[in-house]
Amino acid sequence: MNASIPAVVCLLIGLLMAGCRPADPTLVTIVSSLPRTGSAKQQSDTIVRGIRMAFEEAEGRVGPYRVEYLDLDDSTAAAGQWTSEAEAANARRALQDPDVVAYIGTFNSGAAKVSMPILNLGDLLMVSPANTAVGLTKPGLGAPGEPDVYRPTGRLNYARVVPADDLQGPLSADWAKRRGVKTVCILDDNEVYGKGLADLFDERCREIGIEVLGHDSIDAKAQEFKSLMASIKAAKPDLVYFGGTTQSKGGQLAKDMASAGIGALLLVPDGCREQVFIDSAGAANLEGRCFVTFGGLPPEKLTGKGKTFVDRYRAKYHETPEAYAVYGYEAGCVVLEAIRKAGTKDRRAISDAALAIRDFDGALGHWGFDANGDTTMRTLTVSVVKNGRFEFEEILDVDAHAEVDGADEDPPGDAAANGAAPAEPAL
Amino acid sequence: MSVQFFLQQCLIGLTNGALVALVALGYTMVYGIIGLINFAHGDLIMLGACLALSLVTAFGLATAGPTATWLGIAMLVVACGLFCGTLNVCVDRIVYKPLRNAPKLAPLVSAIGVSFIFMNIGLFWLGPSDRSFPELLPSTNLLPGDGLQFTWKDLLVLVVVVPLMLGLSLLVRTTRLGRAMRAVSQDPTAAALVGVDVDRVIAATFFIGGALGGAASVIYGLYINTIGFQMGFQNGLYAFTAAVLGGIGSIPGAVVGGLVIGFVRSLSSAYVGERWTGAIVFAILIVILVFRPEGLLGRRTKEKV
Amino acid sequence: MTSIPSNVQQPNAAATGWAGMWDFVRERWDLVALVVLAVAPLVVPALGGALGGQVTTLFIYCILALGLNVMVGYTGLVHLGIASFFGIGAYLLAILTVPMYPFQIGFLAATIVSVLATAGIGLALGAPTLRLRGDYLAIVTLGFGEVVKVTLRNLEQITGGMKGLNPVPPPGAGVKIAGIDLGLEFAIDPRWFYYLSLLLLAGVVVAMRRLEQSRLGRAWVAVREDELAASAMGISATRVKLSAFAMSSAVAGLAGCLYAASLSTTADPNAYDFNRSIMVLCAVILGGLGSIPGTILGVAILVGFDTVLAPWADSWIQQMNINPSGSSLLSFSGWRLAVFGLALVLVMRYRPEGLVPSRRLAAELHEGHA
Repeated sequence: MNASIPAVVCLLIGLLMAGCRPADPTLVTIVSSLPRTGSAKQQSDTIVRGIRMAFEEAEGRVGPYRVEYLDLDDSTAAAGQWTSEAEAANARRALQDPDVVAYIGTFNSGAAKVSMPILNLGDLLMVSPANTAVGLTKPGLGAPGEPDVYRPTGRLNYARVVPADDLQGPLSADWAKRRGVKTVCILDDNEVYGKGLADLFDERCREIGIEVLGHDSIDAKAQEFKSLMASIKAAKPDLVYFGGTTQSKGGQLAKDMASAGIGALLLVPDGCREQVFIDSAGAANLEGRCFVTFGGLPPEKLTGKGKTFVDRYRAKYHETPEAYAVYGYEAGCVVLEAIRKAGTKDRRAISDAALAIRDFDGALGHWGFDANGDTTMRTLTVSVVKNGRFEFEEILDVDAHAEVDGADEDPPGDAAANGAAPAEPAL
Repeated sequence: MSVQFFLQQCLIGLTNGALVALVALGYTMVYGIIGLINFAHGDLIMLGACLALSLVTAFGLATAGPTATWLGIAMLVVACGLFCGTLNVCVDRIVYKPLRNAPKLAPLVSAIGVSFIFMNIGLFWLGPSDRSFPELLPSTNLLPGDGLQFTWKDLLVLVVVVPLMLGLSLLVRTTRLGRAMRAVSQDPTAAALVGVDVDRVIAATFFIGGALGGAASVIYGLYINTIGFQMGFQNGLYAFTAAVLGGIGSIPGAVVGGLVIGFVRSLSSAYVGERWTGAIVFAILIVILVFRPEGLLGRRTKEKV
Repeated sequence: MTSIPSNVQQPNAAATGWAGMWDFVRERWDLVALVVLAVAPLVVPALGGALGGQVTTLFIYCILALGLNVMVGYTGLVHLGIASFFGIGAYLLAILTVPMYPFQIGFLAATIVSVLATAGIGLALGAPTLRLRGDYLAIVTLGFGEVVKVTLRNLEQITGGMKGLNPVPPPGAGVKIAGIDLGLEFAIDPRWFYYLSLLLLAGVVVAMRRLEQSRLGRAWVAVREDELAASAMGISATRVKLSAFAMSSAVAGLAGCLYAASLSTTADPNAYDFNRSIMVLCAVILGGLGSIPGTILGVAILVGFDTVLAPWADSWIQQMNINPSGSSLLSFSGWRLAVFGLALVLVMRYRPEGLVPSRRLAAELHEGHA
C-alpha cells in the first residue's frame, strides 16, 4: 500500500517495548500526580517544591532506602487542565512500577475519584495535599455509595492532610452570620470541589437564617461575567460567595463585581488562597472586602516546624510559599514517616502504617488521621485581602461551629451577638 | 426595576457584541477571500494582548495622566494592529499560501496547528496563569443615577469599534483595493485574468483582518482586564460562531452576528441563568441556521452542475 | 479482503527472504499489526500496567476516528462535534449500568442499546440540518457539541453534573467462569480491556472496509464528489447523508461505551468538549481522509503524542535530572503545544492529502496536477 504503513507497525511495537524495569531493592519511588500544564501550574509548582523539600530534608533517604521522586502530570496540553485519562494513566503507571510505594495527589477532587479505585486495587498509599470534597472519605456526606465505591478492596489506602469541606462550607456560613450578613448570592464553578462547597454553604445559610437570593453556576471558560454581575447588583446582597478556584475564574468574578459597582463582601474558599488570585483580580478590587477561608493556618501564622519550613522555603525560592506548599511538604513527610514505620517496601504495610498515624508532629502542628483517613486537624482560618496581600483575620474552629449550632434554637439575631471573639492561635 | 434591568443587560450585550463583532470580522474576511476558517485568529488576538500588556508595563501607562492615557491607548491600538496584521500576513505566506491548491481541509488543520504554536508562545510570554491587565480607564459611571451602568470602558469599546467597522465597509465598498477584494472573493481566477494581483489582495485581507484583531486585543485587555494564554480559544469560538450566524464572508453579517451573540448571552444570563448561557447561544444558532441555512445576511448560493 | 498478493508466491524464492517478508508486511499490514498487537500483551509486561491502559485508549480513539471518517472522509461533511456523540454513548452506557439507576442491564445489552440510541440522536440532528452546506453544517455540529456539553453538566439529577456517573461496572461484572469473576478480572488487569478494544477495533475496521465497497459506501463518495450529479444518477442525497450521520454517530457511541467502561466512569462533561472533537478531526485529516490505515496512523500519532509520548518524555527529563530548577523552558510539557502545532503544520505542508491518502483521493489529486 504505502511505505508509511509499516511505520505504524514499528511505532506500535516501539510503544509496547517502552517502559519495563525490574525492581531495585534499595530504592523507593514516590510519585505525585498534579496538574503541571495549564492554568493550575502555578499552584502545583509550589506543592511540588514543598514535596521536594520534604525529601531533601531527609537527604533523599528513608530507613535503608534511597528515595526517588517522580513528578507526574495529570493534565494534558490539549485540554489545558487535568483529564481523567491522564490521571488514570498516572495511577496505572504508579501501580505497575514495583518501586513506587506512595502516590501524592491529586490536586483536584474530581481527579481523585478516578485514581482512588485504581490505586486501591494495589493497596498503594495515596496522600492528597489538596482534595477537599467530602465524598472521598466521609460515609453519608457525599453521593450515595461514596466513599465505598472508591475502595473496591474494602481496605483504606487514601488519606488527606487537608481538612475536608464539611468544615469549610458550614463554618464559612457561620462566619458570615456572625459578621451580620443577612442576604447572600451564591456562585459556583460547577466543579466537584467548588459546587460541593457552594452547596454546603447554601444549605447552612438556609439553616441559620441567611436569605439566599440566588445560586447560579458559572462556566469556568467564560471570559467575563458582566451580565451576571448586573443581575447580582439588582438583587442587592450583603455577601457574594464563590465556590471555586482561581483557575475557575475567581479573579475575573471579583473584577467584574467591582466594575459593576457592587459593594457587597466577597467570600471565597481555599481554592482562591494564592497570590495569583489577588494578582488576577486586581488588589484594588479586593481591598478590605474579600475574605478567604482556608483549612489550617496560613504560612505566616505557622509555628515550630511549620515556621522552619516557611523560612527555608523563602531562603530557597525567594518568595513566600503559597498556602498549599506546606500541605505538599506535610504529605511528603507523612509518606516518609509511613515508610519508616513500615520498614519494608510492601505497599500494603506502608499504606496501613500511614493510615495508623494518630499523632503526627509536623509542619501543620499536632494532628493524625482518623478512621476515614481524614486529618484530625479542624482549624479553619479566615484571611482578608489588605494591601494586596492576604492578612490573617481570625481562626474558626469546630467549637465556634458548635456555638452557632447551639444558638440555632435562639432567635436568629442572637447568633450574630454570640460573635466568638477571634480565638487565640491554637499552636 | 425590570425595565431598567432589561436596558442594563442590553447595554452589556451591545458592548460585548461589538467586541465579538470586531473579532468576527477577521474570520469573515479571510473566509470570504480564500474560504479558510482561520482557527488561529483567536490566538493571534491573544498574542496582540500579550504585546499590549508588555507595552503598557514598559511605558508605565498605568500611572500616566488622563491625556497621556488616551494617547497611549491610541498608540497601543496602532502598535498591536500593525503587529497582528504583519504576523497574520507572515503566517499566510509561510503556512497557508503553499496550500492554496491542496484539499480544502488541509489549511484548516494547518490553522489549528498555528493556533497551538501561538498558544505556546503566549504560554512563555505570559506564564501559565491568567494575568491582570491594568485598569487604565476608571470604572466611573457616565450615566446619571445608580440604576444604569455605562462606564468609560464601555464607551471605549464603542468609540473604537464603530469607526473601525464603518471604515472597513467604506474601504471594501469604495476603494480600488476593496473592489479587488470583492472580485477575488467571487472568483480568484477571473480576477487574476482581469489583472488583479491576487496574492497582494489576499495579503492585504490578512493584514486588515489581523490589524482589526490587534485593535480588538487592546480593547479586550482594557474592557475585560484579564488576559491569559488560553483566552484565544473561547474568544475565537464565539467570534467564529458570530461570523457564521451572520453569513460567513459577509462583513455586515459579522457585525449583526456579533451583536446577536452579545444580546443572547447577556439576556440569557439575566433571565435563564448563567449556567445555561453557552447552551442557549448555540441552540439559537442551530435554530437560526435551520431556518436560514445561509446565515442572517449571507448570500444565497445556487449550485451548478 | 484480498487474497495473499501474488508476489509472495512467485517462484524466484531466492529473492524472497527479507525482501519478501517486507513485501508481505506492506501488503497485509493489517494482519501483521493485528497479530503483533494480539501477541504483545503476552510478551511485554508493561502492557499489564499503565501502558496497557494508554494503548487501550488509543484503540478507543481509533474507533471514534473511524466513525468520524464516515462523515468527513467518505461523505465529505465536516463534523466539529463528534465528541458529543462519544459523550452521549458514554453517558447512555453509564445510565444503563451504574448502580444509581434501576436498569443495570449489563455491558453487552447496554452497549447495543446505547449505540442504537446514539445513532437515533445522530439522525435527529441530521434530519433538520441536511440542507446546510459545508461550513454551516460544520458550525451546527460544533454548536450541538456545546449544547450537549452544557446540558450534561447542568442536568445534575440525571448525569451527575461535573461528578460524572460512576462507577460504571466492568463488562462481565458478576459473571463467573470456572470460579473466576470476570468483572474483577477486567477491573484488575488492563489487558482484558486491551483485548476487548482491539477486538472491537478490528471489527470496526472490517465493517468499514465492507462498507467502502458496498453500494452505500460508493453512494457516500458520489455525494462527496458531486451532490447534484449523484442525485441526477438517482441517488437520494438526503438518505445517503442521513445514513452517514447515523453510522458516524453509532460508531462514535460505541467508542464512548468502551471509554466509559474502561475508565469505570463517564469522566466529566469537559472530556467531551470541542477540543476533543478537533483533535479527532485533525487525526483523520492528518492520516488521510477516507483512508482506514491513515485514520489509525493519525490517531496513533496525535493521541499517542499527548497520552503516551509527552508524559514519558517529561519523566525522562526528570529522571535524567536535566532540569533541576524546574524551568518550563526545559520541560517537555512547556513545548508540547508548539511541537504538536508544528507537526500539524509540517504534515499539511508536505503531505496535504494526509500521511496515507486513500487510493481514490490520491489518484484524483495527481490527475488534478497533471
